[in-house]
Formats: sequence, C-alpha cells, structure tokens
Amino acid sequence: MKGTEVMNCLLCNTPLNEPVTWKLLLTNHFPKTICTDCENKFKPYENKEKAVTSLYQYNEAMKDYLHRYKFLHDIILAKVFREQIHHHLSKQNAIIVPIPMHPLKLKERTFSPVDELLNEANVPFTHYLEKITTETQGGKSRQQRLNAPQIFRLKNGMDVVGKDFILVDDIYTTGTTIKHGKKVLLDEGAKSVTAFTLIRG
Amino acid sequence: MRNRLCKVQQKFNYKGIVVEPKIRDFFIGRIWTRNHTPFSQEKIEKYIEHQFFNIKPGISFFRKGFLQRQIYRCNRCHNTNQHEIVHYNCARCEKVCVYCRHCINMGRVTSCTDLLTWNGPSSHYPLSHKLVWEGKYTEAQHEAAQQLQESIKTGRHHLIFAVCGAGKTEILFPAVEFALNQGKRVCIATPRTDVVLELYPRFQKVFPKTNLHALYGSVPVQQGFPQLVITTTHQLYRFENAFDVVIVDEADAFPYTYDRTLQKAVVKAKKEDAPITLVTATPSPQILSRVKREKWGVSFIPRRYHGYPLPVPRYESLWSYDKKIQKGDIPTKLEEWTKARLTNKEPFLIFFPTIRLMHMATSLFQQLDKRIVSVHAEDEERKEKVLKLRKEEVPGLLTTTILERGITIKNIQVAVVGAESKIFTSSALIQISGRVGRNSQFPTGDIVFFHHGITAEMDEARNEIIRLNREGFGEGFK
Repeated sequence: MKGTEVMNCLLCNTPLNEPVTWKLLLTNHFPKTICTDCENKFKPYENKEKAVTSLYQYNEAMKDYLHRYKFLHDIILAKVFREQIHHHLSKQNAIIVPIPMHPLKLKERTFSPVDELLNEANVPFTHYLEKITTETQGGKSRQQRLNAPQIFRLKNGMDVVGKDFILVDDIYTTGTTIKHGKKVLLDEGAKSVTAFTLIRG
Repeated sequence: MRNRLCKVQQKFNYKGIVVEPKIRDFFIGRIWTRNHTPFSQEKIEKYIEHQFFNIKPGISFFRKGFLQRQIYRCNRCHNTNQHEIVHYNCARCEKVCVYCRHCINMGRVTSCTDLLTWNGPSSHYPLSHKLVWEGKYTEAQHEAAQQLQESIKTGRHHLIFAVCGAGKTEILFPAVEFALNQGKRVCIATPRTDVVLELYPRFQKVFPKTNLHALYGSVPVQQGFPQLVITTTHQLYRFENAFDVVIVDEADAFPYTYDRTLQKAVVKAKKEDAPITLVTATPSPQILSRVKREKWGVSFIPRRYHGYPLPVPRYESLWSYDKKIQKGDIPTKLEEWTKARLTNKEPFLIFFPTIRLMHMATSLFQQLDKRIVSVHAEDEERKEKVLKLRKEEVPGLLTTTILERGITIKNIQVAVVGAESKIFTSSALIQISGRVGRNSQFPTGDIVFFHHGITAEMDEARNEIIRLNREGFGEGFK
C-alpha cells in the first residue's frame, strides 16, 4: 500500500466505496480507512476531568484493535484514528510530547505505536522524555504500578521552563505512566502539563 | 581409521551437533519465522550456525511487466496482492521495510524477518500403518477407492465428485493407508476448522498406529513426527515442500475457492511432483475444466451410501419476509412450517442470509418454543449448540451459511429463508439440501427454499440435484 489510498476496510476487509461528495472534495479530510460498521463499534469516552482527555472507551472492538496494532505490529492501523487525533491535537498551542519507549524495546517492536499515531495524524511532536527501564506496565498489578520508582527522565539538553505540554499515550489505565511523565516535566519547571490518550481503560 | 570415520559422518550428514528429534520432527516440511519458534532461541541459533536450516527473507520482490514494476511477494503465504503489502519505517533496520498483512495473524512477516526451512537429516518413517475399519463399502464407494489408490500410485491428480452423504471420507481410507505404507507423508487439508475437528477423531480411530496431528488456528504443539496431517488450508502457509500426497476435502468451500493464496498454499506445501486429490460435492466449472484439460483421474458417485435419492428442494414463496420480520411477525408459511416440525418432534435448521435478520428473528421464534437458539460464525458456543441439537436438547437452530456443510443430524428438516439472496450460491444451496436425509433410517426429509423471487442460482441447484438423481437412478427418475 504505497500511496495513501486504502481500498478495503483495514479492520474487516470489506470494500470501502466511499462516495465522492462535494464536502469530501472541498474540505480537508483524511480519506476513510475503515467502514461505517467498524467505526460504530468504537464508543467515544466522555471526559469528566480536564487534566486527561481520552477519545475512546476500552471495549471488545478496541481490545481487538490494540491487539492487532501493538502486538501483531500491523502498523498501518495507525491510520484508523488519524482524523480524530488530528482534530483534537492540531490546534493546540502546547508542545506535544509522546510517552517514549526504551530504545531496546523499540528495536524489538520495530516501531513506536504512539509516535506512529501522531505521524499519521500529521501532528508535530518532540521527544522531551526518555524511558530508563525496559519493563512494561502490562502484567503488573495496580499496586506494583503505583509504587514503581520513576521510569522517565528528561532528555539531555531539553529546556522545559515556562512551557506548556501535552503528554500523549495510547491507553490510560491506572494513570501511572502519565503521572510519572507529568512529575518529571513539572519538577524541571514546566508551566503546565495535561495529557491526551486514545483510549481510556 | 580417521578417514573412514569422516566418510561415515558425511554419509549421515553429521554437522557438528547431534540433532534433537523434537526439533527435527517439528521443522521437517515447515517454514517458520526465526524468532518465534516453540524452542529456545539459543538452540535455534546454534542449529542455524551449524547449517541445519536454510534461511530466506520473509518478503522478496521481483520485477514484472513493461515498466519493470517492483512486485513484492510474501515468502510464507505467497501473497502478491500489493494492497496487502505495507511499507513502514523500521526502527530495527533504520530504513523502509515492508510487511505482509495477508498472513499477519500468524505473526508478522517483514522483509527483515528470516524464514527457516529444515536442511538437516530427515525423520524415520514407520511403514507399519494399519487400517482398522470394519465398515462396508457400497459398490460405487469401492470402485472410487480403487480409482483413487490407482491415481496416487501413478502420481496423478484426482477428483472425487460425490454427492452429499455418499460417504466420501471412507473412500479416502485405503488410499491413505497405501500411501503411508509406501513411506509417504500425507496431508488432508480442508478450508473449514469444523471439518478438521470432525475428521481428526475419525482418522485417529481407523489409524491407531499412525502418528497424526490436527492443525488449526489455536492448536497446541503436538509431539512426534506426524506422517499424516489433518489441517485447515490456512495452516498450509506454514509448510513448504512437505507432502507426498495432498487431499483437499470440501474443495469448494469458502474461502478456498475465493482466496487464490490458499490454492497456492496447497501447491507450495506439497512436493513438486506430488499428486493432489480434490474431494467435493459441488465442483466449480473451473475445477471441472482443469480436470478435463490436465487429464485427472475422476471418481463420480451420484448415489448416497444408503441407496436413496437426494431430497429435491421445493420452492415456497415468502414475499417481503424481511419487512415482516422487521415488523415483529414471522411470515405465516414459515410459522406453519416451524410449528409442524415442533409438533412432529423433528429437529430442524433454518438458514438466514444475514446475521442481522437472524438476530431479529430469533426472539420471534423463541415465542414459538423457548429453546430455539441461533448460531453464527463468531459464536463461541457454536460447537455446543450443534451438539445440543444432535442430542435433541433443542428442537431446532437458526443459522447462517456457516452450518452449510459438515454437519450430520438424524432426521433433520431444513428451510432456507431468503433463498434468493446473493450469499446462497448454487453450491451453497446444494450443500444445504445435502444435510437432509443422510441417515439410512430416515433417508428422506423436507427441504424448502422460502424465497422472494426465484433466482438462477436456485434453479441451478435444483436442476443439479435432479440431474444427479437421474445419473444415479436412471432416466425414469422424475
């Protein structure tokens, strides 16, 4: 799939046949990548707090999506939510900071799921953080996660004083990852840090 | 002395380490990704170092056409559909790599993945296979079994064209026994997991001395070297140059006829000159023309094993059934049919064209009898529900085309709702009609096509059934 053209739904492989409308031709939209049936299986998350914004609930369809994207490494699925992510992040003034992966993990996985989501959504971002452990959050209990020592540090030569940040991650479960990232940035003198995740577990 | 030893070693292909039978038995004939074997990575690397494996890239490309366009091909599933090949920035290689989406459910294959094929010593093939089966053949079955054995002996492709309920599986027994005792590796492949699950215990029972494995989606690793493999056609992606005889059962089932790569997988999994046998009740025109052109062996059985004709479907109009069901009514004719089945205590199957319509109808049918349930492809309790019908714990099932083949239930009665729908092709309708009257105690039964207009596919199915009955019972058959 060299070009941007997606012929079949990326999730269920039915032909898309997107009708050509004036709206499609004249406004700036990403072309569709999944069919309406698949789209309807994802349920939007209603945000209650300001500090963390999430787009979708974690349900069966989302579980399946995450499995295919993160574990089967089907990178093209990063395109699925690009419209929504773009809509939400492109107009923000704050600096977008994705939650980083450990370099060894990155080699193993061959791609960074969060970075790819932002790339496909055409959202510019900067890596301010570095991960210092190779452990993953999955497979740990809630208690273990909450008590874990700091897992990030600021990258060398990055200046955060007086700046606004948005941390971006794929899924928010207990909130530990975001909390750790936030702490590093605020301790170094950031003005404000909010968070954005695709999924709320 | 030393020289002689060296010679002996060369003869046995000694490469520095003693091969573990477990690893050898697993990898013979298989094609597997380097980093996801069921063995420890250190061991595998050691074997690679000692050249027990051939390595090839997961995806390679060739040039084609006037413009010499690059065409990528996945070396596991042989997919060349460029829409299913994805380019990405690989963090491991730090350049652009490609991967194949077609077989991604088996673990991703990228251009930087190594695929391993076995290059070590071969396994020991026992030759003491014994067929333990006391059933009796009809004349037609006996003849077909002989023909098949003859074809396999001479290495010729073969087609077994036998009506639903002719006893196709039994025909395979002597040919499989013959091939196994010749020291050949045999594979029975089918597009459907259900069929694998049904065939496996049957073959296990009649070949008690043979090590046979069943392979499908989520099966655990089985021990020993399987000389006989019963598998879904999907799992053949993971084999290469492995089998001396390949038998494809239900060769007309979805998705085998539809997915070209599955057909390529069968060719890839067999050795180059190994014969293929296709077993089907509804061969497609493509198969028939190929059989004719390439002069395959053919066995044709138009009669069922119990000697009764195939039940011929009848048409019954059911105008605007979908609107009726949407409104919350079962159309009268369908309701009467179901009630008749309930009062006669006959098990029944009702086929629906879509899952959506079936779900709407389920609650309506449950008002007639609470025990009626529905089954579809993603239903986790599919097996249990069919078993319940067999045990007469439920009076009937509502289903999609998923149950069109492979199920045998005594005295079953069948209705197809919306037989004019696109999904009911003539071969699907023939298969559905073939569910009826398979038992020798109940050789007849009712098969109704409820329709909103008669389609060519319906006529084709009906005419084919009548034609087969004529072939089996002479021109006098009406």
